[in-house]
Amino acid sequence: MAILISFDIDGTMEIGDPPGPVTLKMVKAARAKGIITGSCSDRPMSAQRAIWEEYGIEYDFVCYKHLLSDLKNQFEVGEYFHVGDRDDLDRKYAIRAGFGFFWPAEAAENPLLL
Amino acid sequence: MATGYAPPSMYRSQEGMGIWEHRGKVAAVGVGHSPTERRWDERPETSVGAWSIMALRNAIADAGVSPDQVDGLVIVPATTTGAFWPKDKPLPQDVINSFVQTDDPLDGIAKLSVEWLLKNMPELTNINYSVYAPVCMSNALNVAAQAVGDGLAHTVLVLKAWHNLEGRYYQGGQNAQESIAGTSAMTSLWGAPACYGTALQFAEYCRKYGKDHDMMTPFIINSRRNGLMFPEGYWAQHRPEELTAEDYQLARWIAKPANLFDNDIPIMCAASYLFTTAERAKDMKQKPVYILNHADSDAVPRGLTPTLEEVEAECALTGRKIYEGAGITVDDLSFENMYDGFTQFHQFHIEGLGYRGIELGEALDFYQTDISIEGPNPVSPSGGNIGSGRSRFWMHTDSIQQLQGRAGGRQITGVNAEIGVSGGPMPLGGNYTVWSATPD
Amino acid sequence: MKQGVIPDDLTAPFWSAANESKLVIQNCSQCDRLQHPPAADCGLCKSGDNLEWKEMSGTGRIYNYGVVHDCPIRLLQDDQPFNVAVIMLDDDPGIQMYSHLPGTPVDDVPVGSAVEVVFEESANGQKIPEWKVVK
Ligand SMILES: [Zn+2]
Repeated sequence: MAILISFDIDGTMEIGDPPGPVTLKMVKAARAKGIITGSCSDRPMSAQRAIWEEYGIEYDFVCYKHLLSDLKNQFEVGEYFHVGDRDDLDRKYAIRAGFGFFWPAEAAENPLLL
Repeated sequence: MATGYAPPSMYRSQEGMGIWEHRGKVAAVGVGHSPTERRWDERPETSVGAWSIMALRNAIADAGVSPDQVDGLVIVPATTTGAFWPKDKPLPQDVINSFVQTDDPLDGIAKLSVEWLLKNMPELTNINYSVYAPVCMSNALNVAAQAVGDGLAHTVLVLKAWHNLEGRYYQGGQNAQESIAGTSAMTSLWGAPACYGTALQFAEYCRKYGKDHDMMTPFIINSRRNGLMFPEGYWAQHRPEELTAEDYQLARWIAKPANLFDNDIPIMCAASYLFTTAERAKDMKQKPVYILNHADSDAVPRGLTPTLEEVEAECALTGRKIYEGAGITVDDLSFENMYDGFTQFHQFHIEGLGYRGIELGEALDFYQTDISIEGPNPVSPSGGNIGSGRSRFWMHTDSIQQLQGRAGGRQITGVNAEIGVSGGPMPLGGNYTVWSATPD
Repeated sequence: MKQGVIPDDLTAPFWSAANESKLVIQNCSQCDRLQHPPAADCGLCKSGDNLEWKEMSGTGRIYNYGVVHDCPIRLLQDDQPFNVAVIMLDDDPGIQMYSHLPGTPVDDVPVGSAVEVVFEESANGQKIPEWKVVK
């Protein structure tokens, strides 16, 4: 069953401001497993695309946090996850969209990203 | 030398005061900036004190004067973006030990005094006038212009610096508590974020004039574009991200109708300008930019938040004060650099000025025309806070540099830079300066 | 849930009236002028000598509103998004009060509609004036 994982950037990913524990290597590892990946951040969507392109990592989507549920219409998969560092934005919007949720440190130890 | 706040008599708050008595006799010459950062990394060399010294020294060098020629200081002692040093957090001793201290260990870290600056800038040997201005560079500029004009000092450094600490903006303190004191509860219990009042005025504006939020898009794109050409700015230095219509229009609401990009980003930075008499300015390194007038808005709303009616009346009054004291009309303005942090009051400011003949309710339509620096009607060529982060001083630096012909990539080209106006912050409560390439 | 309120010297009469389901607003008897939020002095004559508390009719109109999606107050964050309206009192439309408009759907606010005051319990039991649309 296919899986989708959405990554917040700032406070979550190593390239964020502030940096978080999720590395680009982990994102690549997830993609190698066939997981659908992309970002969901407060950064402008055009800037999110630019980040993935700058680091040479393919992505399936970029998104804003309050629009997470739109990903369910775009991608029909078995499980949806969001990784983020903010309770009031990341966790709340993930739960509201029916996504599973991981804090960045949890995600960094999850076998899906290793 | 004890430093106090500037007295009310230094501000030009009333209509009917006539032409400013020092019109064209005070000039800005030097500009100095620190770098920008999102938050302080707690190193001594990036503290708000260190960056203030850097900005001051840069302004001195830019003007081409020697430090002992400076005889006045006008600074804003408050440096917070909303972040305060937590009561239970140990003081950063290595930072404190890196500077000559005053009695207050947070001086130079989370606030700034004239005493601290003088102790740490021994080259400023001839300061015999110093004064504090509240809140903003806009306010300090008015005070400095008046001080030089009045002869209280002949060569003045004006300074505003900002610190931003780790943690999220305004999420701590009272906002995290189970109960709050009765007086602040009167207004804060309902959880309105900082942009709420402006968002409401914008909502009423849209209902009254039949406009909508998406019509702000060209202003946002233009502001960020201009800001990315501001080498001192936060976005230019750290995240050179343009904004697209999609980026803006789909962004999450903070307080609808204000979204994430209608708000500015809190940052750390410092800037300083060197003001002097028109006479002395002639011998300095940069082309003098003459001050034609300064104006102050001190209106207080009757209720909890200003109504659209109050905002429009005050902006119109401010516009009249600006023109009256400068002895100019709207037709003399080459550009406008009114404040934008929040985006949704910029239109009130420029409608109050009647910029390029726009009337009430017309600014958003005006935004749909060419408002770029290349066009005949440049809007916010500095890019403001949206273009470079929350400093509330980009507009002043840009105005000076436009008139000196050294605004670099932001230099307006569709119109000659001859006279400009900058100021803010709020429609009710702000300070404005009229700048000119020539003294008369 | 709203944060609790700890009445202070300036505002105690307002909060104790609210606990008795009464809305009182500060008034300067010299100027015959209401003011809110309350202050130590009258905003017009600048004197504190003639300030009193005056009971209001408890009716008003919705002047304007916004929808808060990102609120700094932790206790309110679970309720996001929520309406925050500005009510103008019928007794004096210059007097404004905030309201979450209990019972009114989010972002479906009838601007200009009549409202009446109700009293809602906060986190520490202190009652808070709130406003409901009159059907
Ligand atoms: Zn009175």
